[in-house]
Order: sequence, then structure tokens, then C-alpha cells
Amino acid sequence: MKDAETINERLELVDANHKIRSLKENSAKVIGCFPLYPPLELFHSLGLAPVVLWGFKDSVKAVDSANRHIQGYACSVARHLVEFVLSDRDQVMDGLFMYNACDTLRNLPEILHCGLGETGRSLRIFKMHIPMAPEQQTRTSGYFSSRMLALINEIEQAFDVAFSLDKFRHSVALYRESRSLCKELESQVARGAMSYARYSRIIREGCFTAVEQHIELMKDVLKEKTPLPDESVSESGPAVIVSGILPPPFTLIDALENAGLRIAGNDIAAQRRSYAFTPDVVDDPCLYYQDFYLHHFPCPTLLFSGDKRIATIKNLVTATGAKGFVFIGEKFCENEYFEIPYLEKVLKESGIATLSLEISIDDDENSEGFFTRIEAFAELLKN
Amino acid sequence: MPEEQKEKTGHQKTGAGKRLSNIMLNDYMQLHQKAGNGAFVVWIAIVVPAELFSGFENVVYAVPESHAAMSAGKGVGPLQCEKAEGKGFSPDLCSYARIDLGTAFDGGKDSPTFGLPKPHLLVSDNNNCSLLVKWFDVYHREWGTPHFILDVPFCYESQKEQDLDYILLQFRDLIHTIETMSGQRFDPERFREAVQYSAEAMMHWKRFLKTAAHRPSGLTVFDSFVQMAPFLTSRGTKALTDHYRLLADETQECVAQGIFPVPNEKYRLLWDNIAPWHQLNKMSTRLAALNANIIAASYTYCMGSLEGEFDLYAYDGGDPLRYLARAQNFSVCPHGLELRYRSMQKAIESIGIDGVVFASNRSCKVYSIMQMDLLKRVTEKLDVPAVMIDVDHADARKYTEENAFLRIEALLELIDIKRNHSRAGFA
Ligand code: SF4
Ligand code: SF4
Repeated sequence: MKDAETINERLELVDANHKIRSLKENSAKVIGCFPLYPPLELFHSLGLAPVVLWGFKDSVKAVDSANRHIQGYACSVARHLVEFVLSDRDQVMDGLFMYNACDTLRNLPEILHCGLGETGRSLRIFKMHIPMAPEQQTRTSGYFSSRMLALINEIEQAFDVAFSLDKFRHSVALYRESRSLCKELESQVARGAMSYARYSRIIREGCFTAVEQHIELMKDVLKEKTPLPDESVSESGPAVIVSGILPPPFTLIDALENAGLRIAGNDIAAQRRSYAFTPDVVDDPCLYYQDFYLHHFPCPTLLFSGDKRIATIKNLVTATGAKGFVFIGEKFCENEYFEIPYLEKVLKESGIATLSLEISIDDDENSEGFFTRIEAFAELLKN
Repeated sequence: MPEEQKEKTGHQKTGAGKRLSNIMLNDYMQLHQKAGNGAFVVWIAIVVPAELFSGFENVVYAVPESHAAMSAGKGVGPLQCEKAEGKGFSPDLCSYARIDLGTAFDGGKDSPTFGLPKPHLLVSDNNNCSLLVKWFDVYHREWGTPHFILDVPFCYESQKEQDLDYILLQFRDLIHTIETMSGQRFDPERFREAVQYSAEAMMHWKRFLKTAAHRPSGLTVFDSFVQMAPFLTSRGTKALTDHYRLLADETQECVAQGIFPVPNEKYRLLWDNIAPWHQLNKMSTRLAALNANIIAASYTYCMGSLEGEFDLYAYDGGDPLRYLARAQNFSVCPHGLELRYRSMQKAIESIGIDGVVFASNRSCKVYSIMQMDLLKRVTEKLDVPAVMIDVDHADARKYTEENAFLRIEALLELIDIKRNHSRAGFA
């Protein structure tokens, strides 16, 4: 078991490129995936190391290369992603995978292709269309299976590997364990036994490390006899849910926790939404992933899940006893912003206070205005 | 040059323009009237094949995007956007959506058509943009109106057979949904006839657009922008076919008689993006004064073509549902850079384009994100000068005329430089 200091050191190290390089040193072929819900088990079972391409704000300092290919009104997630891929001079990734989610992302494969081509590089990009028609409207299973099989076939050919059911079962088991540990960490945060900042670092770590190592890390953290006392965590403070595509920047997390708010749950795409649902174990990757997407924790990027979102969030609020809902908006993310007015209305009708903060690529350092609003929000909840 | 001809510059109200006003007036009046008399009302995304509704006795449809474009053209775009923003919708959302939400939540007030009759069914389509699904979802939640999501896979290369089958499956489900909800039977013959009308209308549309190949061009893009409207409100009707036939005949006749919108045309430009609805008159007049004419747009030449093509995709009389499914990715947004470049190259070569104006439109990311690479490709591979200007298609608050024209004038200079170079014998 690693001591707390070692774990902390590891969590502080945020250079994604460096971490991915270590993955590669274990002779794995690395496949960079976007957006947040790719078929990780499948890639893993095919001998690839999947990394989920988000959370680059700390490892990508400027977006100069991205700015030559994509306008400033694309969200910062997309711009950081483009920058990360284009600045990967030594091609630490062996391929990319993307599925349809939003209007910005769907143009990225060709933009990346152009950007890489300018310096004589190229990267195989696997694309898959996840059906977005609601199941009660159209039976999408046949189409989904055909796309899934086509993807498997493409990967097999590109990397000279073969799908194996045994390996798939093994990978499924690993990811089940990983998801379950993520949930356990989340419940520690809800109880006030772990800071949300620490939880966020641990979850982020899972994007750039092998699933086996991530499991080991989470187990080590959970085995710590007394979870690290974090003065910023208020066990008795008003509980809030944070929501958005990415977790708030660490400065904002600190501000929330320092204001005496307890982050009792989250509806963050890169966190809870990614691991909340675990499909049943079945011996068919098509069926497995059909289940995975159809019953996924609702997300504005999964268009068919819209009807379930309000009820799911209300359940989350009830289960955690949250008094407030903090929406961390990713500027220019239309998928999220269309839903917010209605969501806020429904929550307010249920007596839940809401706070909306918008993060953009350039202004997350200028957090003063946010701090004042967070403090005022905390006061409101305490009264 | 005769006096009369000299004055005929910029965007003019032609005979077809006057007829257009009548068609639009009639379409919206009929829509309200039929809805008032109990017709089943569907709101659709711009690319939903409206011919499907002609297969029913008493189903009418409204196109919120088209209504938003009209509102922007009539100058009420910012007012309606502000209403939506006042209800908590982000000013970064597409201005069509904001105009529509502002209009709908204010009961149609300030709308040039008194808004749209309330829908029984919403049909969005994520192939133009997935934003549209989220936009229609707002009504789905607020009003409880059922929402059918047409899920059309994006094309990075020509549409795949399995994608076409998937689209067909959804078309059938949509027909079934309307049958169930409206209690009306779908009549395949009525539907086939509607598809035939639309296909014929597209043939005339292409004939109209090709008058741009003449020097000087027989049209300005501003004519074609406004003439798109009935394709959205009258799809599948004889009225549409007749109108486009007359439009093409009339424009060809003008060319034959030597009447041109920009008679001293010196610069022939191509526009890439949605029309700047709030600027049509101003922009065309100012360009005409510079002897510049935007003679084509990716926004208008995509109509009637397949993805990556420029010429007509004709209907061969076969399965009309299949024909529509095959054409589902026709508009520019649902296909990628490679295909867009391919059709742009064909346009540039077949009608003789001197320069391209890429209108970077923050309201429409699907259209705009990739333009930087497309621009590079056009200038480097085709050796055609191009500039990028900032435009919002429907929210005039986000457009600065002087900034835009500084760039456009720079483009004209680039074209001159290129011409001087070739005259001087430089390759
Ligand atoms: S944050 Fe929103 S706009 Fe940006 S990539 Fe994600 S879903 Fe798309
Ligand atoms: S984002 Fe673009 S394609 Fe989508 S509704 Fe707006 S203008 Fe149309």
C-alpha cells in the first residue's frame, strides 16, 4: 500500500502527455478517445490503452496551434483537445476514436487531420455514430450493432489484433471494479470524509493511466485508515450538487469548500455521468454497449436521454439531501445551455437554490467575481 | 448603357420577388387557418423532408428556423433574442433558436407572421445540428409536446448504405407516429406526387442558380437567399414548382436581354455560410457600388444536390422515401470538410469565382468550425483568394459592417493583385 504522500504526489502531477507516455512505455498502443463515454472495455480487451481526452487545462498552457484551426467561439474543451493532439510532436498516441456528441466535436476529426498534416503527421481516426434516436421511438439495436461490429473490424485491421471474448470479459470485470470504486470515492465525498478536490484529482487520474493502475490507486486511497483530514471540507455545511461537463477548476472547488459548502454529489460529465451506470455482464459487445448507452446516466450530449434527466437530478438531490445546485457552464456548450433554464426552474420549484457560473478558456484565472457569488450563495443556503 | 439598366444594381425586387411575397403570405395564412380549423400541426427542423406531410389529408407544418430568418430579415431578430435571453437562455446560443424561443414564449408578439400555431408534434433532426434537438426539447418540456428526433449520421464521406437504411427506418417510424397521433392514414400516392413536385422544383432551382455562370452574373446571391424561403414553407407543392420555373425562366430571360443585377461586375464572389438576413439590402448595395457581386453561396447551391456535389440530384421515379433518405445530408452542415471542399471546388470552377468570403458565424458552429482549414485549402490548392469575416446570421447586434467590409475590400485588392500578376506573366 502506498502512503498518502506518494499518492498525493502522483495526483499533483498533471502533465497528461507525460502520463500517456508512461502508458506507452508498457508497450501498449494508445488510443485517445473523445468525448467522454467511449467503449473503454472494448479497446482495453483489444490490447489498446484507451485514454479519455479531457482535463488539459493544466497540461496545455496556450492554445496557439488550436487557434490556427478553430475559432475562438468553440468551447475550451474542444480547443484544448485540438491543441493537445496537435502539439503531440512525438505522437504518443497511436490512434484516435470519436463518436457523435455535439456540433463542435463532429468537425474535429478533419480539423485534426489538417493540423497534423501540416507537419507531415497523420493519425488514424476511428469514428462511430452512436444512435441518438430514443429507443421508444425507433429500434436502433440493428443499426448500433452494425456500427459496433464495423468499429471492431476496423480496429482489428488497423492494429493487427483480434477480438477475444475471454479478454473482453476480463476487461469488463476490470471496468466494473473501477466504476464501483469511483462510486465509493464519491460517497466518501458526500459524507465529508474526502474533499471534492481530492476526489476530482483521483477521477481525472483515471483518464490517463491504465485501468489496472487506477484501480490500485483508488484502493490505496480507500484503504487509508483515516482519510486525509481536509480543513476545507465541512461535514455539517449545506450540501450542494455540482453539475456541468467538466468539474470546476480547482480554484473554484476550493472556493466552494472554503465557503463551507459540502459537495454531496455531482452531475459532472467527466465524473459521475461517466461511471454511474454499469451494464450487465453479457458475452456480446454489441449488446453490452447498447445497454451502456441506452441506460447511461443522462447527459445533454446523449440526445435520447433528455427525458430522464430531470427525474435523475431530482433523485440525486433527494438522495444527497442537497440544498443547492451549482451549474458550472462550459462557455459555448449549447448542449448544456439549452437545458439550464428549465432545470433551474424545476429545481427552484422544489426549493433548491441554484447558482450558475460560466467558465471560459481565458477567464478561469479571474475568479474574484466567482468567489463573491459563491460566498453569497453559501450564505443564502446557511440561512 | 440604358438609364434604367444603370439603376438596376444590387438586390432588386423582381417579378419573382413580388410573387415570392405572395407565396409567403399565403403559406403563413394557410398555416394559421388550417391549424385553427383543426389540422394536425408539426414543427420541423429545416432539413426534415416535409413532403412526408403531404401524404396526409390534414397535416400542416411550420419551420421555426425559416420563421426566425424572416424575423431577422424584418429587423426583429435582436428584439426576440433579447426576450429569450431575459428568460435565461445564453446569448451564445444560435440566434435562430433565440429568436424562436423569444417569439414562442411571448405568444408570437412582434413576429411578422404572428408567430406559429402551437404544435402537436415536434420533429427535430440532428443532421444540421444537434443543437436543434436541444432547442425543440425546450418546448417538449415546457409544453409536453411529443418530440420525434430524426437521427441522421454525419457524413465524412458519401452516405453509407447502412446509414441510409437507418434513416429510412426512422422515416417509417415518423409516418407511423403521425398516423397514430393524428388518426389520419398516410397516402403513398399523394406523397409520391409531392416528391415529384419538389424534385422538379429543384431542377428549376439549379437552372436559376446556373445563370450565375454568365458574365456578368444573372443573379446576386441575395436574390437566391430570399428565394430559398418557399422551399421551406411550400415543399412538395405545385405552387413551389411553378414559382421556381418562373424564377428560372425570368432570370434566364433577363440574361438574354442583357439585364444584370451588377452590370459592371468586376469581382465574382462566393459566400460560405448562412445568409446575413439582417444585411441583405445593405450588403448587396454596398458590394454593387464596388462592382462586386456575390454570385453563389454554399448555402444555396447545396439545395437539390447530394453531399459533395454541385449538380442536381435528380429523382428517377423510384422509391420516393429512399430518394429523400439519400438526400438527407444535402445541406452543408451535415457533411464534413472533404465533401464541402469538393462541392466548393466544383462551384468555383463551373461558375467562375474570383474570391471566397467565409462568413464565420458564431451562432452556427456546425457551419463555421472548419472554415479556417477550408479557407486554407481553397487559397492554397485552388489559388483562389479568400477572407474570413465575422457575421451572425440573425442577430444584428453581433455584426459590425465596417469590420466586414474592411476585409471584403481587402479581398477585392487580393483579386486585383492576382490579376495583375497573371497579366504580368507570373504563374
Ligand atoms: S463542452 Fe459541450 S460544446 Fe464542448 S465539446 Fe463538450 S459537449 Fe461539445
Ligand atoms: S446552429 Fe446553425 S444549423 Fe443549427 S439551427 Fe442554428 S443556424 Fe441552423
